[in-house]
Amino acid sequence: MLNKSKISSRQFMILTTFFTFGSAILTVPSGIVALAQQDAWIAALIGLAIGIVLIGMYILLAKQHPNKSLVEMMDVLMGKWLGRLIALLFVVSYFLLGPCAVLSILGNFLTTQMMPETPMVSLNILITAVVIMGGYLGIEVLARSSELIIPWGALLFFAFIVLVSFDIKPLNLQPVLENGIAPLGPAVLSFLGTVFLPNIILLMIIPHVNNEDNEAGRALLIGSIIGCVVMIIIIIMTIMVFGPGFTARSMYPTYSLARKISIGNFLQRIEAIIATIWFISLYFRVTIYVYVLSVALAQIFNLKDYRPLLMPLGMLLVVLSQFIYPNIPYEQESDARTWVPFTIIFGLFLPLLLLCLRGFRNMNKN
Amino acid sequence: MLAIAAVLAVAGIMVMLQVPPLRKKKLTRELWAFWILLLLGVGISIAKIVMRNVPTPLEWIAMALQPFSDFLIRIGLIK
Repeated sequence: MLNKSKISSRQFMILTTFFTFGSAILTVPSGIVALAQQDAWIAALIGLAIGIVLIGMYILLAKQHPNKSLVEMMDVLMGKWLGRLIALLFVVSYFLLGPCAVLSILGNFLTTQMMPETPMVSLNILITAVVIMGGYLGIEVLARSSELIIPWGALLFFAFIVLVSFDIKPLNLQPVLENGIAPLGPAVLSFLGTVFLPNIILLMIIPHVNNEDNEAGRALLIGSIIGCVVMIIIIIMTIMVFGPGFTARSMYPTYSLARKISIGNFLQRIEAIIATIWFISLYFRVTIYVYVLSVALAQIFNLKDYRPLLMPLGMLLVVLSQFIYPNIPYEQESDARTWVPFTIIFGLFLPLLLLCLRGFRNMNKN
Repeated sequence: MLAIAAVLAVAGIMVMLQVPPLRKKKLTRELWAFWILLLLGVGISIAKIVMRNVPTPLEWIAMALQPFSDFLIRIGLIK
């Protein structure tokens, strides 16, 4: 049941793209610009370079263990008990920090910017219902629907960029590297933390990808790069239009950016465009999270099917998204101090450890 | 009260949808996993409805990661 479904490498690439810029598109500019001011785009470019190496590491890991998901790799390399214990830790904390947090961010955005009179819980229930449905139908359906939606997403994105480009002021990017290289460090790390490091969980989907001559790895790399380039374009645009000060202070700079568009006092208030792109990508991000985590849970406990877990997980998702972040300052602090170290441990140290263990095994054999 | 009733009703619908097919196929492990997660979900939901301030579980993760994040702050990689 678990391993029957197959998706093509192109579909996997699109899923990766959606996953990569998923929740970040609306919130990341503000965080990274607060850390690196007008040099945030340099930080993002450095992030891209490091990210390619990271993805290379994941691809190597996937190549060493063909047709194995992350949990199964940990099973083989760390032994049954330790591997599954760490995997369980990974799944539980990822569930809290990933889908629950993303859903709570979405609820906050909707209730503060678009629908102030609707209670957050009802919006979250609606989104979760669709997410659970997507998870229930499985990775094939999800991949196909992403393939259907991506042209529209791309069209909306290009329309947005073209319309915004009337307002850019390239002078906002100067002075370059005013404060030296040092402030770039945290910015690069926060960028990696939202855009590249979480991609480790896509190693759970890789066994489902049709893998003739290693297309899956290439799809993962290209998808991540596309997602990252979208992010870089948006960061540069927000800095050039608003300057670093406003971008850092605003909660949702990309949304404000769309709000600013006004062509001849006629084409106005098209911020719904950017909100739509965000909903689509965010839907895929949350659904991939939920799907992957429930499959991981099923593999940890030797279940034949992950589907019975989905509905209760959806219930947990709705409730936890209500109080996972008591307030916005808590959210921002947790983004920096909990999420970043967490993704470094599971996105960098864990695959490194797995690669080392594999190396030791090979040495022992010889 | 109404909220608790709604939570229980939703849980009841989930049980009706999920449990009979699992019973029929004799998937005991899946059934156990389903019940445990459902109890967790209902428990937390009711706690959230009854209590004013439920502590967020992120607090535990933050506590576990404290040494590492302190180290990262000291070497200037996060703020």
